[in-house]
Amino acid sequence: MTNGSIDNLIEDLAGELEPVRPRRLMRGSLWVAGGWLVGAAALLWLAGPRHDLADGAMMPPLPLLAFWLIVALGFAAAWSALRMGLPGVGRDYSGWRWAGLAALALPFSAVVMALSDGHAAMDAAHPENGLQCLAQGVFAGLGVGAALFAWLKGGAPTSPTRAGWVIGIAAGAAGATIVALHCASNDMIHLALWHGLAVALSGVAGRVLLAPLLRW
Amino acid sequence: MSIDEPSLARLMAASQRGDRAAYRALLSDSGKWLARYFARRIAPHQIDDLVQETLVSMHRKLATWDHSRPFLPWLAAIARYRWIDLLRRQRDEVELGEGDAAVGAEDEVVHARLSLDRMLARLPAGQAQAITLVKIEGASIAEASQICGQSESLVKVNIHRGLKKLAQLIESE
Repeated sequence: MTNGSIDNLIEDLAGELEPVRPRRLMRGSLWVAGGWLVGAAALLWLAGPRHDLADGAMMPPLPLLAFWLIVALGFAAAWSALRMGLPGVGRDYSGWRWAGLAALALPFSAVVMALSDGHAAMDAAHPENGLQCLAQGVFAGLGVGAALFAWLKGGAPTSPTRAGWVIGIAAGAAGATIVALHCASNDMIHLALWHGLAVALSGVAGRVLLAPLLRW
Repeated sequence: MSIDEPSLARLMAASQRGDRAAYRALLSDSGKWLARYFARRIAPHQIDDLVQETLVSMHRKLATWDHSRPFLPWLAAIARYRWIDLLRRQRDEVELGEGDAAVGAEDEVVHARLSLDRMLARLPAGQAQAITLVKIEGASIAEASQICGQSESLVKVNIHRGLKKLAQLIESE
């Protein structure tokens, strides 16, 4: 290739130029919020809200704390994913990792509780008592996952592998928050295992299924 | 025309509005900047191809520049992505370089962040030497084998492993 061919390329690209609408994080955030609402509406329409909350009761403190930890993880992962669509050397996309570390308090607490009451733990870990929550969590997160994927597909993620992980984790966390509005269990082992597994499984799915599609 | 951040950012903002003259100037300046950027990272015979690939990527991703942020880190991120892509292709193909010694380029803040020397220093010595000889200086596998005292198959293995690790290091920067 020569300077002449670069000049020709520049002429061609300049000739094709049309005005573009710069991508704004605010627009992406609205997509994500829309995705969450769609996921929540779909699950609550299909499965209904949890009856205790519908009757005006409050969640007990520990499940409420678990809920907000997952919300924080979802927010941090979604924000990181949105920022990954607008590249720049030196930009820090690692905020979701800190929220992820904080959310590890859930499985650690569950392990401690399981050690003190093995029978209850075995009961909570039985697939019959949680597989549905896992499936519902993954399903409910699809809206956020689709919104983030669409945003990053049109953006320029410079690490598709990391972007796939983060989309999956954000989608799984969004799904887990929605399931918490349907599933009436306040058992920490159930929440950590089955709701938490929805986050982990979605993360792996994002890595495996989405990362190759995000290359550009 | 000097390639400075404020001028490039102004040209980019005008380009996003559809100003073709500004875009032509932006692409021309970006091409020069990219040639310097790649000069210290890849063999000379690959520079023009990679500059063109990066300009096409820049064209496709024009909307992803945020006017509230500087332009050069955005361009460098796209350049780095194309560079990693080239490293991956090279790793897969274990293609042999045929070029001359890489030319020097003036220091810039963004360049310094991604200095190849700094990256190579984080590889095992055998891998760094094999990559430097074959991929940067354009020696053949046989020549590199003689210079560094590794067998030809070990040179190939070191290039393969080194490029894989290099791509991971660059991606994590």
